[in-house]
Amino acid sequence: MTKIKENQDSWQSGMAKNITFIVTKDCQLACKYCYLVGKNVKERMPWEVAKTFVDYVLDHETDPDFAYESVVWDFIGGEPFLEIELIDKICDYIKTELFRRNHHWFNSYRFSFSTNGINYHEKAVQDFIKKNRDHLSIGITIDGTEKKHDMNRVWKQPVADDNGLTKPSERGSYKDVVKNIPLWLEQFPGGGTKVTISSADIPYITESVLHLYSLGIHEVNINVVFEDVWQEGDDLKFEEQLMQLADAIIDGGYYQDYACSFFSEHIGKPMDPERDNQNWCGAGKMLSVDAAGNLYPCTRFAQYSLRDKEAWIIGNIKDGIDKNRLRPFLTLDRTTQSPQKCIECEVASGCAWCQGENFDAAQTHTVFERATAICLMHKARVRANNYYWNKLYRKLELEDLREQYEANKRKVKPEIC
Amino acid sequence: MLQYLVILLDDTSAAYCHADNPLKERNLMPIETLKKGILFGMKQNLMIQYVFPDYGTRDYELPKEYAEVIESIDNVKIYPAGCKPVTGIEDGNETDVEVTNEVPEKVEAKNLLLRLPFSKMLKQKDEIAKLFASGVRINLCITDVEQFTDGQIEAYKQLLEEWNGVLLGLYKQGLSPQFNLLTDRMMLKEMHNCEAGVSNITLAPNGKFYLCPAFYYDERMKVFNQLNHHQPSSDNSVGDLERGLDIPNPQLLRLDHAPLCRNCDAYQCRRCLWLNRKLTWDINTPSHQQCVMAHIERNASRSLLNDNRKVGEFMPEIDIKEINYVDPFEVRKEF
Ligand code: SF4
Ligand code: SF4
Ligand code: SF4
Repeated sequence: MTKIKENQDSWQSGMAKNITFIVTKDCQLACKYCYLVGKNVKERMPWEVAKTFVDYVLDHETDPDFAYESVVWDFIGGEPFLEIELIDKICDYIKTELFRRNHHWFNSYRFSFSTNGINYHEKAVQDFIKKNRDHLSIGITIDGTEKKHDMNRVWKQPVADDNGLTKPSERGSYKDVVKNIPLWLEQFPGGGTKVTISSADIPYITESVLHLYSLGIHEVNINVVFEDVWQEGDDLKFEEQLMQLADAIIDGGYYQDYACSFFSEHIGKPMDPERDNQNWCGAGKMLSVDAAGNLYPCTRFAQYSLRDKEAWIIGNIKDGIDKNRLRPFLTLDRTTQSPQKCIECEVASGCAWCQGENFDAAQTHTVFERATAICLMHKARVRANNYYWNKLYRKLELEDLREQYEANKRKVKPEIC
Repeated sequence: MLQYLVILLDDTSAAYCHADNPLKERNLMPIETLKKGILFGMKQNLMIQYVFPDYGTRDYELPKEYAEVIESIDNVKIYPAGCKPVTGIEDGNETDVEVTNEVPEKVEAKNLLLRLPFSKMLKQKDEIAKLFASGVRINLCITDVEQFTDGQIEAYKQLLEEWNGVLLGLYKQGLSPQFNLLTDRMMLKEMHNCEAGVSNITLAPNGKFYLCPAFYYDERMKVFNQLNHHQPSSDNSVGDLERGLDIPNPQLLRLDHAPLCRNCDAYQCRRCLWLNRKLTWDINTPSHQQCVMAHIERNASRSLLNDNRKVGEFMPEIDIKEINYVDPFEVRKEF
């Protein structure tokens, strides 16, 4: 099969509107860390909802909220490829409508998927990929070694409970995913994977990243969860793992062709309260729709992703968006939502947050209270990161390769949500 | 800094701001609670503002023991029109406020608070204008800000232009009319907002503290059930007389934590936190409606100031800039 080239020209990162369809809340797996607390088999998006939503979005071409150069149509779940027929129909409709309306997104769109990879090889999915090859990005989530992956990413029990909610089984999914990795990498040679680290995963970080490299995945986006799950001493264990990983990457020469988002030259610096005051995440600039036709500033504000709060619904496909409910998101800045310790923090840059988790964990109904459960973990990451760059640059200098490295280094765009 | 303690003497205490009081059953604050509230105010050095019951009749008198307790401390009285409360001691405070939902023909108090929906304000604009010459400070509070639409912007602009004409006539006669929507901004060099939870706090008859009476009404009516604290609940209180004040996320009530308002110069705006929470769901973020109305008022004040200056020197230290927006949200990227 021919390689699918990433169509960078039509894709303006940062200037793209991100539009997400929550096509299903069902998934074959029941991952133990999954933030989707209300995952269920009942809520699948009807075609009419999807169509009305697309019409709504395209009807508002000139509205400032949609006046972005390009668009990413994101399909998430649950597992989006469970609804491949619906997705295919939606994508066909989008393409037809963009053409018919002579919409400025016609040559500037992308369909994006984050999948568990289980049915990647199936005909319907493959047909879809062939049909949309120039406008696709697909990420498969694989957590690392078989042991690490299967700790969390387990199949769900075959039968849902009376409320349609699904429970984890004991059966890991590693083998079912890894068999599709070669095909995926053949089609998306630059394909990256997203790894999420929770407390119990810390000891497996190094081996997992190296394992992913050995599978041929060159880009590993890895994040610690934002939720308050950390145990005492986790930060030190984390630092130790990351230093091991740094040694392995540098000593093994992986830094040339592989990337791991843990290590970045831009993190761990103080931030200027005025110049560096922008919000971290894109909630509010994105738009999500669920099966019932409700609209959200980001999927993390839908009920199935919230533990303690009611969904932050900003409208629905019939009445449109209540712009008042978007105003908090569009006026958010870093310092207003941060506690004093973060404003004064010497290592603040790169310390991320998730607006949805902030909201869920907040004492009041607000998106302006930053959760800092990752504080010690970020500081540990910064220490290991400093170690990484000091070691790497010394090595390159001794080998007289620094300039060459700088000229060719890979750019990693951190994915945080 | 906290400066005022508002004490709702009864569940039916007169609504004096944006929110209507839906509570119609009499429920007087127990006298012990009242005493404790006063003590709290004294210890925290707070000025006490009593809000008197609105029993829908002029014939009522608080029990004698209440009158004594009420007057045991210097205070301001907010009371429904026509019912100058009988507390035993008439101190005729300059700052007492008479509240009404009907445009009165004459006013007895020194301060009138007139609560009207937008349409009624338009309809009774002439009657309202007559009050400007009364020598009384007129505070007009619009009770349906959330219903205001962009289609009404022109009507509001025109109305304020008309009233500007009336006020200008009075200035020319050497009078100093005071009408919050138009004359306040001309006098202000910085924000002068409601400051619920920052400079003032409300004690309800149940002995609990609220950011303002509207939050107490909401709790009683189980409004915003899902929108409050960590656990879904209708509890809006921010402490009580036993535990003291306990305001969660107090910084979010302050101007410096409101990204739009801290960059705004509609200094006369109420900046109503209760409307914020109701309409944008975040207490530090104002709605489009509130901003637009406040900016129409701000811009009309600017034109009144300029008209006054054509006649003679007028508030030389005040500068209201010309702007081309009515909602600072539109220009937020330029902050
Ligand atoms: S959470 Fe901790 S590490 Fe992150 S910016 Fe705040 S103080 Fe710094
Ligand atoms: S928050 Fe202030 S302006 Fe708003 S209703 Fe309460 S007292 Fe009035
Ligand atoms: S006009 Fe809007 S931004 Fe300005 S103070 Fe009022 S509510 Fe805040």
